[in-house]
Amino acid sequence: MYHTARIVLGLIFLFACYDKILNPGEFAELVYNYQLLPDSLVNVAAILLPWVELALGLCLVFNVWVPGAVVVGNLLLVAFFSSLLFNLARGLDISCGCFSTAPGEEAADYLTVLRDMSFLLVSGYLFYAALLSGPPAAQKTGRLQTETE
Amino acid sequence: MNMDRQKPSAFKQSLWQMPAIIALACLIGLAVNQLRPNGLPLVGDWSQGARFSDATGDSLVVSLETAEQWFRQERVLFVDARSHKEYVAGHIRGALSIPWQEVDRYFIEAVERMEGPHTIITYCDGETCDLSHELALFLKEMGFENVRVLVNGWTLWTQAGLPTDEGE
Repeated sequence: MYHTARIVLGLIFLFACYDKILNPGEFAELVYNYQLLPDSLVNVAAILLPWVELALGLCLVFNVWVPGAVVVGNLLLVAFFSSLLFNLARGLDISCGCFSTAPGEEAADYLTVLRDMSFLLVSGYLFYAALLSGPPAAQKTGRLQTETE
Repeated sequence: MNMDRQKPSAFKQSLWQMPAIIALACLIGLAVNQLRPNGLPLVGDWSQGARFSDATGDSLVVSLETAEQWFRQERVLFVDARSHKEYVAGHIRGALSIPWQEVDRYFIEAVERMEGPHTIITYCDGETCDLSHELALFLKEMGFENVRVLVNGWTLWTQAGLPTDEGE
């Protein structure tokens, strides 16, 4: 269960970052359309975020630095989810940058919310399994720490 | 439990792993961006002029003052890029409705009325709304040369108390 979740979350991050790394300009426009960052930070975020996702994806899939990856991954997903909800609440359609008069109408919005929630469930479980509970996770992740054993 | 003397807890590991992951990702990401041909500038130009530019990079933006002046001189045709519902609820006087999200259907019906010596000005609503821009680019591709964008057109126009209409 733990390893399945770990690999699933890792793959999610790898799939997520792929297009953003290949098309930085398009991703920058998306970041801009979220209207959450000051203009001057949009490009930096668009440049760096996909690589953080790539790093997280690789760490999780290859079972490297998992505790750190799980914490950063959770923070990232919480941030994404909050951004999504915030923009839904204020009626901002990020695909066109327009504030619609009837916010939250699109079925696509709810699907995205459900999708992000399911990611959060996986990462939340990993947070519990990797950091809060005991031996099985710790032993696996401790392997790199304790060469002297 | 003899776990304690063997390895730091997962939590403690995460404390150094987190900055390590982020730092590594940032270094590599930055390096790749600076070296790749289509890398982004670290601080982008997200000004109106840049965001609402055409294929050659020239700004399509027209000011409210200019738009109003041309309106008074009857040398402008406004095109509303918002949804048809919003258009019916209220639009700039004389404007046509070509909702960007249904452009193919509405453009065919409207194209005959669009020929002429006037300047076409597309508009939607909101500083960040891109519908007007997309529509303007489309119209230019269709061969209309004189196309501009009134950014945040609907709000600016109504706030200035300029003439509007309702209905079809």
